[in-house]
Amino acid sequence: MSEPTESPPAGRSGQPDRPMIALEGVSKTYPKQQRPAVATLDLEVPEGAIVMLIGPSGCGKTTTLKMMNRLIEPTTGRIVLDGEDVTAVNADQLRRRIGYVIQQVGLFPHLNVADNVAVVPKMLGWDRNRITARVEELLYLVGLEPKDFRDRYPRQLSGGQQQRVGVARGLAADPPVMLMDEPFGAIDPITRDRLQDEFLVLQQQIAKTICFVTHDLDEAVKLGDRIAVFGPGGQLRQYDTPDEVLTNPADDYVAEFVGSGAAVRRLSLLELSRLELDQVAVAGGGPGPANGHPVLVVDDSGRPTAWQHLPGLAEPPPLVTVPLSGTVYDAVDVMLDGRTPVVAVVDDDRQPRGLLRWDALVGDLRTKGRRTR
Amino acid sequence: MTAEVAPPGQPTAATATASGPGRLWRNRSLIVPPVLVLVGLVLVALYVSNQQLDNVEQRILDPGDLLDRLGEHLLLTGYSTLIVIVLAVPLGILLSRPGVGSAQTGVLAFGGFMQALPPFGVIILLAVVVGAGRLGATIALVIASFLPVLTNTVVGLRQVDPALIEAARGMGMSASRTLLKVELPLAVPVMVAGIRVALVLNVGTATLASYVGAGGLGVPIDSALKLGRAEAAFAVSALVAALALMIDWLAGLAQHLVSGRVS
Repeated sequence: MSEPTESPPAGRSGQPDRPMIALEGVSKTYPKQQRPAVATLDLEVPEGAIVMLIGPSGCGKTTTLKMMNRLIEPTTGRIVLDGEDVTAVNADQLRRRIGYVIQQVGLFPHLNVADNVAVVPKMLGWDRNRITARVEELLYLVGLEPKDFRDRYPRQLSGGQQQRVGVARGLAADPPVMLMDEPFGAIDPITRDRLQDEFLVLQQQIAKTICFVTHDLDEAVKLGDRIAVFGPGGQLRQYDTPDEVLTNPADDYVAEFVGSGAAVRRLSLLELSRLELDQVAVAGGGPGPANGHPVLVVDDSGRPTAWQHLPGLAEPPPLVTVPLSGTVYDAVDVMLDGRTPVVAVVDDDRQPRGLLRWDALVGDLRTKGRRTR
Repeated sequence: MTAEVAPPGQPTAATATASGPGRLWRNRSLIVPPVLVLVGLVLVALYVSNQQLDNVEQRILDPGDLLDRLGEHLLLTGYSTLIVIVLAVPLGILLSRPGVGSAQTGVLAFGGFMQALPPFGVIILLAVVVGAGRLGATIALVIASFLPVLTNTVVGLRQVDPALIEAARGMGMSASRTLLKVELPLAVPVMVAGIRVALVLNVGTATLASYVGAGGLGVPIDSALKLGRAEAAFAVSALVAALALMIDWLAGLAQHLVSGRVS
């Protein structure tokens, strides 16, 4: 998910580590309350990155998010958006420059889909043609056929469709920054999974700087370039890449929050393309089976069909494959599913690129570059 | 008073999935009241025309005179309701703003107190204070029908999903724009329901205006009763009832239209 090159990585786009949003010494204490909702906090969100704010209920993650667009005014500190101090500018104007998507979606029931999406462009005074074109473009972008959905009312949409419109509405005026408050929290698990996948694809196209509140660690690991773990009393406990948070929790609290499933979760962060895979030979061509390499039987187009020879195994197991673009998690899934201790890794053209053994998972996974653990 | 048309919440939900039979049923429920009223009026007219009317009764039931009284009655109702709307709606909006807090309870309690005052007493009292005539009667009607508009404005605005307001503010709508573009459009069906109640209350209460010389359909009823002409009193009362039903029907129609649009 994150590039193995620089540390810490600045998001998928690989842009320099320039903060798009910076909270400087920001804190929030509600009137008549002793303890702060958010303790003094410094947080920089790099341009083009997805930063996940995570923590238990009442830990201040949503408060932190809402201070970024000043729906909640901070008690102390400065908010810097793209280099500009926005702590004291007109809050309504500020919010028109920041996309905002919430869990309850909040589509206006008396407006149709097109008018809902057009709310911010209208406030910004765009002309009618530009708004129509933009609405069309956005609906298409979030996977809703404009001519089918433009004129529908929110009550005529499913939960997933509503949230797609919600995302389109947040993107309407092409803000550089999006704030998302558990946008997929109220959606059924299957739809949520699909929306998350689409969200990542979408982010590759739009490359926004995104702050995303969640209480779901899997979601944080899946979507985040960085994860900010909040603890009780609104304290930021750790702010790092998902890999780092899972592997090296900053303190006992984070370790407990990350929990016992951390090792398994980490598998989904490790891309197969980053591993040093065992070499595999192809029957009938190349170096041949002599030097003890595993051998695959391939069809005419070079796609593997079965194992011919696997060193150390008398009876070759049935062949299972996993795409090179997948993660170790996928490889494990395939191996468990096929009840076999070895999986062939294939590229996009289904040509064999190597193999991964079960033994290697519990032994030493060799990765290319420095990120060996 | 409002029994014959579905309560405000229901058509809202139903419009979304309006299927054949449902639409038919709702349309029928919109057509039935005026038909019934018309049939009732015709029956009363037939009954009255079959009676041997004496001089007094003829004078009471003189069509031209009745029309004048009807006009006065409608003006009293219309003005008082208009004043109620102009006063109660802004007050209701004010009371629904965050930060008003406990003032809301206080004002609503005061509204309940005013509602509890007997209109007849208020009309007489105001005649003493501001003098007999339309002014006192109109004020009395305003007092009598103030509460439903006020409460429905507050309730209508309060029932708007807070997530919608958060979404609106989060996208950069100012507080006043949120009120105009989101809160009020969504509160309108409930507010119209309150105005409808006020209208119907006023149509009925306006019959009492005759006691302070403010005219209206109370005048012929009053004279018919004083002169012991029961049939004439009955006929005019039927006219008032029909008027109330028709106004309720019209307001219901308006309510149906706005809730259909907003749902």
